[in-house]
Amino acid sequence: MKIIIRIVLLAALAALGVWLWTVLFPSPEKVIRKRLTELARTVSSSANESDLARLASARSGAGFFAATVELNVDIPELGQHNSLDREELTQLALMARSRTGGVRVKFPDINITVAPDKQSAAADLTVEANISGEHNSVVREMKFTLRKTDGQWLITRIETVSTLK
Amino acid sequence: MLARNQAGQSNQPSWLPRWLQIVLIGRNPKVTLVRLAVLIVTCIIVFRFILLPARIEGISMLPTYQDRSVNFVNRLAYRWHEPRRGDVVGIRLAGPHVMYMKRIIGLPGETIAFVDGRVLINGEVLDEPYEKTPCDWNCPSVQLGPDEYFVVGDNRTMSSEEHVFGKATRDRIVGKALL
Repeated sequence: MKIIIRIVLLAALAALGVWLWTVLFPSPEKVIRKRLTELARTVSSSANESDLARLASARSGAGFFAATVELNVDIPELGQHNSLDREELTQLALMARSRTGGVRVKFPDINITVAPDKQSAAADLTVEANISGEHNSVVREMKFTLRKTDGQWLITRIETVSTLK
Repeated sequence: MLARNQAGQSNQPSWLPRWLQIVLIGRNPKVTLVRLAVLIVTCIIVFRFILLPARIEGISMLPTYQDRSVNFVNRLAYRWHEPRRGDVVGIRLAGPHVMYMKRIIGLPGETIAFVDGRVLINGEVLDEPYEKTPCDWNCPSVQLGPDEYFVVGDNRTMSSEEHVFGKATRDRIVGKALL
């Protein structure tokens, strides 16, 4: 009986150790997933947002991106751009936030592939945006390319994926 | 039998009337608990891995499916055979949490075209009994690859520019609509 208790305690201790290890040293996939979830929360806005809060959120949202972001998207609202710097991204975010009464953005599915060198990754995700006042949500499949820069995963490329070709 | 019932009664809270105890937790609480656990596990397995609950948003599948109606996507439907023409299927985007609900009209290897609202499969007009509304779509012919299906919604009163339709690869088809 003592042996069984010892084995159970040892297993529990090992499980605790593994859990602690994943908390203290999370995998790149986990870090990216958390970061993308944060991005969705940051780009979401409420209808009665003040100008200051709008600016702060737009600047904070730009912090998720690299200094220059490559674009390959078929979203008419974004216009024709091949690349954007952080300031342009901030302006675009501000414009979008002022035009919409409020938007709730979610990434319900995120598939992350980390490169073997663990310095770059690709995230294939579904973007779901519920714009206040709109009956149905806007849904797009997108692919983000990320690069680890100064210990942070930054988005370097955004492209839309055609689910149906 | 009698002993078991007595054992069961001893576990029941005495502050409830007997009939209410039977209605709420049964004659034997242990058996009820096991049943409840089995039911919960079964529900989790069924609704997470086999029948995915789906709330339909949008009007592209009218009149077959109304906006905001509820359906299920059967993930086992294509385990033993490939998708068939006329099946309404769930097509995943990045994952199965958000899907397009569309009808398969073209099978792998076929050529699809819309001419004056009629669907042509390899040059032959497709009979579509589910199509109740007039349509004036014109789309150039599309050749499907060995792993591709052509999917479209039933509501073709919408303009083709507003309607999401096209080729879907087999791996994107999650399952068949149940209802």
